Amino acid sequence: MLSEVVEALVFPGFLFTLGLGFLFEWIERKIGAHMQGRIGPLVTGPHGILQPIADFLKLLYKEEIVPTFGDVTIYKIGPVLYFLAPILGMLFVPVMGTRAVATFDLDVLFVIFLLAFSALMVVILSFASESSYTIVASGRLVLQYVSYEIPLVIAVITAAVFSGALSLAGVVQTQSNVWNVVYMPFSFIVYIVALMAELEKPPFDIPSAKTEIVAGWLTEFSGRSLAFLKLTKEVSLIFGGGLAVALFLGGPLGPVPADPLLASVAYTVYFLAKLLAVGLLIFILRTAMARLMIAQVADLFWKILTPLALAQLAFVILLRGV
Amino acid sequence: MTDNETKAEAGAGLIQYSTENVVPFGPVHPALKEPEYFKLYLRGEKIVDVIPRIGYVHRGLEKAAEQRRWSQNTYLFERTCGICSFIHSLCYVQAVEGLTPYEVPRRALYIRLIVAELERIHSHLLWVGLLGHWAGFDTLFMWVWRDREIVLDLVEAIAGNRVHKSLVTITGVKKDIPEGMKSRIVERIKYLADRARFYKHIVDTESTLLARTRKVGNLKAETAQRLCAVGPLIRSTGIPRDVRADDPYAAYGEVPLDVVTRSEGDVHSLLQLRLDEIVASVKAIDYALEHMPGGPIRLKIPPAIPAGEYATHCEAPRGEIFYFARSSGGVSPDRVKVRTPTMANLPTAIELLKGLTMADVPVVLTAIDPCFGCMDRMSFVNLDSQKQWTWSGEELRQYGIRKYFPERKI
Repeated sequence: MLSEVVEALVFPGFLFTLGLGFLFEWIERKIGAHMQGRIGPLVTGPHGILQPIADFLKLLYKEEIVPTFGDVTIYKIGPVLYFLAPILGMLFVPVMGTRAVATFDLDVLFVIFLLAFSALMVVILSFASESSYTIVASGRLVLQYVSYEIPLVIAVITAAVFSGALSLAGVVQTQSNVWNVVYMPFSFIVYIVALMAELEKPPFDIPSAKTEIVAGWLTEFSGRSLAFLKLTKEVSLIFGGGLAVALFLGGPLGPVPADPLLASVAYTVYFLAKLLAVGLLIFILRTAMARLMIAQVADLFWKILTPLALAQLAFVILLRGV
Repeated sequence: MTDNETKAEAGAGLIQYSTENVVPFGPVHPALKEPEYFKLYLRGEKIVDVIPRIGYVHRGLEKAAEQRRWSQNTYLFERTCGICSFIHSLCYVQAVEGLTPYEVPRRALYIRLIVAELERIHSHLLWVGLLGHWAGFDTLFMWVWRDREIVLDLVEAIAGNRVHKSLVTITGVKKDIPEGMKSRIVERIKYLADRARFYKHIVDTESTLLARTRKVGNLKAETAQRLCAVGPLIRSTGIPRDVRADDPYAAYGEVPLDVVTRSEGDVHSLLQLRLDEIVASVKAIDYALEHMPGGPIRLKIPPAIPAGEYATHCEAPRGEIFYFARSSGGVSPDRVKVRTPTMANLPTAIELLKGLTMADVPVVLTAIDPCFGCMDRMSFVNLDSQKQWTWSGEELRQYGIRKYFPERKI
């Protein structure tokens, strides 16, 4: 019982996820900076590695301005719920072995629900703050959501269908010899692109396009709420990336020593290495592209990625049938 | 923008957009580096109407000029614009030189051309970077702005300052380009030409940038002419209108110059056109440095300028600028009038925006390379009766007295 509480709260649960979130934000900023010929964060900690934490703490101290118009209750509760979704989701992602902290037979469905819940929370938060910018952003969020959600779910389901299991632990276990990405490369591509849309990374940073609608749905948030909303974006990357690792890259599996403790360490290292690979892929893609327009996003997902995901699903079903 | 104002306008019968979302674009907005207000009427993402409100950075430069000496005004008009500062002082000086009987030394004319073209490279690079930023392509922005440092360093080496060059003076320039500096300038600008070709390759091949710029804001040649567009904007529609070639000033008559045109009239063609113009400018500078004549760089003249009126124009990086100067024979001008390219291009940008989407606003609005600080003047539009009028100098003076000294009799 105690060990499970520690697992859920410290490692590989809450604190571990937060730490990874801060670390990946630093990696993202460093990579972006170096690709653009800049230096990036440098002052706080060695090579500026503590800068994301410093930024978070700074925002916590800042004054929070609550708009008098709009729905203040949702405006205040929303960030907490939004923050909980990826933290909760991370408990279902196997890190130290094939078993995650929390697991049940149909947890793939629950994870899909959490992904949808995050998107819904953003729309609600955006509406609740009710300024002209956030209303435009809400429209964009909903359009973007209906664009990427279906290919994203199809990609996740493809992995589940191939493994014949609706639990992440089951999906991971079937990849002990060959990773899923070998059989379903297009699902992996679709998943990564849809994940970038979910995380609003360029070229999909349309709902928070700063040169068009100020900060998009984040415009009216300040202080603590803003700190947690920004942190949630980073943690969502860990959750989404961890899910990609579990579904397509064999989770934490790899050659491990016999000793159970050393094996857990090795599993964690494999997981982190694969997560880093997914993160690097996303960071490099985001730095190399301009922002699309919302109609072009719908075009991309509906005309190209959804058929691609469906074709991959059909291929996988045939493969399993044979 | 309050709801009441919107309703008042709708009630006046001029604007009937009850279902539209009114989104303010400015006066303080991340996409605008200078304050200017555009009221966007949106239906969903689509722009139904745009109402600009100009004048946030009206600084009274023209009035200030009347209280300073002719030579002091060179520095004043340099501050009309923070980017194309040299061309403003050059155009002002040309207007003053038109009133005087002196002949400007030829070497000074060549130096003016070289610095004006360096400034064009600097301004175009700045714009390409900013367009990248506005289209959400920050990497392009960072790369281009790093290369822009090269040209700023060159300008600093020649003039002593990076932005406000303070180089040009009435009947000449103040600093010479020494023989030893030529090879360095040529080497650096050749590198810049290579970079410009590289960026052209990027804007022609990067698919997300193409998606944002190609076929966005299709400007027709007739529309551009009807709305009096100038500079790269009208050249992007295929009309080779360029003051440097049409009415050469400085040493432009003696230096071969490629007038770059495109036919598409969209934002992508503006990108290509400006990058091509960088290459053309590099060629012109190279030629001018090689063929620069010797001799003095300035004359000594008395401070009083003969009475008369003179109007002149120059091709700034953004388009044609126009200066008018009137002298009554004193040491200060009677009147100086400035017309900047942003003023000429703004109606075109507004026309282009209608029917596009919110996401196009920063890209299209900035495609004209707006410089609102240069533009702001006095003019009025009554939205109720759609009447437009401008104030004469005398009316403006009387308004000022009424406003600040209400007790005084006019």
